[in-house]
Amino acid sequence: MTDPKLDRLKTLVGEVDDLRKASTILFWDQRVMMPPGGAQARAEASATVGRLAHEKFVAPEIGELLDGLNEADYEYDSFEASLIRVTRRDYEKAMRVPPELTGEMRRSSALALSAWGPAKQNSDFQSLLPHLERNLDLRHRYVECFPKPDETYDVLLDDYEPLMKTAEVREIFDELKRELVPLIQEIGDAGEVDSSFLRGEFDREQQREFALKVVRRFGYTDDEWRLDQTAHPFMTSPGEGDIRLTTNFRPNDLSSIFASMHEFGHGVYEWGVDASLRRTPLGSGVSLAVHESQSRSWENLVGRSRAFWRFFYPQLQQTFPAQLGSVDDEAFYRAVNKVHPSLIRIDADEVTYNLHIILRFELEQELIDSRLEPRDLPQAWNERMDEYLGIDVPDDARGVLQDMHWAGGSLGYFPTYSLGNVISVQIWARLQEDLGDIDEQMERGEFGEIREWLRTHLYVLGRKFTPQETIERVTGSRIDPGPYVRYLREKLAPQPA
Amino acid sequence: MTIATASPPLERLKNALAEIADLKHAESILDWDSRVSMPHAGALARAYATATISRLSHERFVSDEIGELLDELGPFEREAGEDSADRALIRVTRREWERARRVPPELTGEMTHAGNVAVAAWDEAKAASDFKSFMPHLERMLELKQRYIACFPPTDTPYDVALDDYEEGMTTAQVTEIFERLKPELIQLIDRHRAEPADDAAFRGPFPLRGQHEVGRRVLEAFGFDEREWRIDETPHPFASKPGSGDIRLTTHTEDSDLTALFSTMHEFGHGIYEYSVDPSFARTPLGAGASSAIHESQSRTWENLVGRSAGFWRWFYPQVQAIFPDALGAVDEQAFVRSVNAIRPGLIRGDADEVTYGLHIILRFELEAWNAAMKEYLGVDVPDDAHGVLQDMHWSIGLIGYFPTYQLGNVVSVQIWERARADLGDPEEQFARGDFAPLREWLREHVYRHGSKYPPRELLRRVTGSDLDPEPYLAYLHAKFE
Repeated sequence: MTDPKLDRLKTLVGEVDDLRKASTILFWDQRVMMPPGGAQARAEASATVGRLAHEKFVAPEIGELLDGLNEADYEYDSFEASLIRVTRRDYEKAMRVPPELTGEMRRSSALALSAWGPAKQNSDFQSLLPHLERNLDLRHRYVECFPKPDETYDVLLDDYEPLMKTAEVREIFDELKRELVPLIQEIGDAGEVDSSFLRGEFDREQQREFALKVVRRFGYTDDEWRLDQTAHPFMTSPGEGDIRLTTNFRPNDLSSIFASMHEFGHGVYEWGVDASLRRTPLGSGVSLAVHESQSRSWENLVGRSRAFWRFFYPQLQQTFPAQLGSVDDEAFYRAVNKVHPSLIRIDADEVTYNLHIILRFELEQELIDSRLEPRDLPQAWNERMDEYLGIDVPDDARGVLQDMHWAGGSLGYFPTYSLGNVISVQIWARLQEDLGDIDEQMERGEFGEIREWLRTHLYVLGRKFTPQETIERVTGSRIDPGPYVRYLREKLAPQPA
Repeated sequence: MTIATASPPLERLKNALAEIADLKHAESILDWDSRVSMPHAGALARAYATATISRLSHERFVSDEIGELLDELGPFEREAGEDSADRALIRVTRREWERARRVPPELTGEMTHAGNVAVAAWDEAKAASDFKSFMPHLERMLELKQRYIACFPPTDTPYDVALDDYEEGMTTAQVTEIFERLKPELIQLIDRHRAEPADDAAFRGPFPLRGQHEVGRRVLEAFGFDEREWRIDETPHPFASKPGSGDIRLTTHTEDSDLTALFSTMHEFGHGIYEYSVDPSFARTPLGAGASSAIHESQSRTWENLVGRSAGFWRWFYPQVQAIFPDALGAVDEQAFVRSVNAIRPGLIRGDADEVTYGLHIILRFELEAWNAAMKEYLGVDVPDDAHGVLQDMHWSIGLIGYFPTYQLGNVVSVQIWERARADLGDPEEQFARGDFAPLREWLREHVYRHGSKYPPRELLRRVTGSDLDPEPYLAYLHAKFE
């Protein structure tokens, strides 16, 4: 016998979910399909739909239903308890933000995103600056809606990584910095790996076909997925049975293969959420870091492994015989795992990637604490790139303008990328304990058991538990950078002669 | 002074309508996406999202708040100048609000739901040519339509209510009169051509898809399509939509057997350019779309037929098309090709019909009578099965009853407007022959498109042409062209 209040709550949050799905489609369409002339009207429509979703969610009726429901009446692990618990947490958070502010933030983000494309193309930071200032201003107003935190940044972080504190992240990142800066040095001292053959002319249609070949092996089907071209790759799921990946098929390198595997990892997480959680606040991945752990698992732990390439490399060679015909599989493996400081985050290797993130994490804190003015961002960026990676930034397009996040109003998002790296290896270690020799499966091009292990242990849970609980249920321990650092060392540190 | 006192409720009305327009924008994208880009398995989740968005926009529109604002704005509306856009906004909103308020939300919900069920049944019934399996759904839709009609004050005939949904101010009696005038003339024309061997150069492929896409693109660009604000995609059933300003989307359906897609592309361009050219200040208001189904169709038919099947157009374009399809058209001269795209060819399918027989396809639907018998009488064509007969169109399955006549009224209107344009512009075919379509497009923008829904359709027609709906120019055009 279900409580009618619970049924009513499900109906209401179902409608909110419908509106969010509509927002998702508006976003995807804007990036993939919309003619540029539609930007203004789209900004308005997105703001309205987003605001209505927010208004519907913070409706007094939901508050009254939550008041009348008690999660303690149900088993902690039950759908009912989770629904009440998670909805209550989301509700209490959302209630703090006036709908006008949410609407303004959406509107401002949509306009800034439209400006970001041309700004990046022309390396014109000044044209984006007013948008960034506006976004930051709105973020300040947003932070003020919450009780005073230990650190202002905590409020932003909580949106992407619920219940995570800035201090915890700093501690993890400090350890990464301590371990990775010398590792990068050691690798650099050992001499440069040849990866010259990864640059050249690679037909975009053939890249697309190869990427599809890979993700189909992983579990992509035409009935439920699609893959499109965008400047900046992303994944969205506008509904059950509808998973959309995008990637950038660049004509001069093979990065699209890794980007596609990365986005597949995000997609398969959403795909694997238990069907009973759909159209509720429980029906998606639990946090950005856990999400990223899955994109990085499929991109790096699978897609940059020797076993994976033992299966796929002959096919890739056949696809691009002129470029790869004379490159053997070990040379290719070493090239796609080359550690080398570079300008662009999304092109970075597994090790230096984390320093790109740490840099952004630090700049974001300085911005929100008003220790750094947005107009001074390019200079601060360039100085820190030099300090952490020893790299000279030639222009803002390849510097501070490279990512869409800040234009999109996402502050507090970046650290989840590196946290994802850390978590991915913790989960992977558990998976290996259960499945034994997964290399042998990957060498045969079989990924079904890996996907099913991840689905049944992690993906099905959706948002039923907090991120920390989820990580603990899957791995048996708290978030811990140790396994990740050991993995990087084992895989990438120069072998003593 | 009046404006100053009236502006707060007017602003509130405009804000409320803008929100509703935003929801319709989202609905339009959800619909477009489901037809163009959605993976198949996403259908169920999409049905939920669409239903919620459309219910919300309906609830917001029929709200007491809108009614109160309209009441408050009564004096303003009476005092505003005849040509005031604000006054038109209030008039259009009031008309739609009053119509919507008459229909209980449960009935609206039932109609949407039954339509969803019926269109799926229609799909299957059509594939199996099995009218019987579709009949209960059709009966259900008719029953719901009758209940819908019963929500309105009595009219001369119940069909008037259905018609008024798509063509404001039009009555069954007027449509009957126009169609009765057209029918014998069209039948005569067809009979006179029946003995002639059909030219079919444009329908004897193969025309490789890549070449057809190139042909379509060239025509659209010459007409005024610009990638910054338009796009075109492939779908099984072509349509045009405008989710919002600066975002016009056409679809087409290309098969390599014939050049039908080119005409359907020009047709959808006509719908698109109308929406594209509406006064930008009408954006996010009920004035920001075309005036009625018939006026809309007049423009799709203008670009498809009056432009796209004209001798002038092909003087410019045929050499290019011939060069793109040397295998199919190398040995076909321009005149033979133009004859073939203008051949009268009685056939089964409305969507494939030529300019003359098309009218009879519509008239027989309008009459809703003795389907198989009527087909033989008008077109002299035997209907082999229901898939090629009564089941060919999806309209009735989704409750679009009263919609079909607007197609043929659109043909009638198109020539009335065309005659006015010619009077102003001189012979547009000479411009077409140079590949220049801007004068016509700009004339239409100035006289028709920019007004959006500011004027009721018949008033718009009077403003543009100086007369009411009149089949004579259309008949004169057909006689001149086909005799």
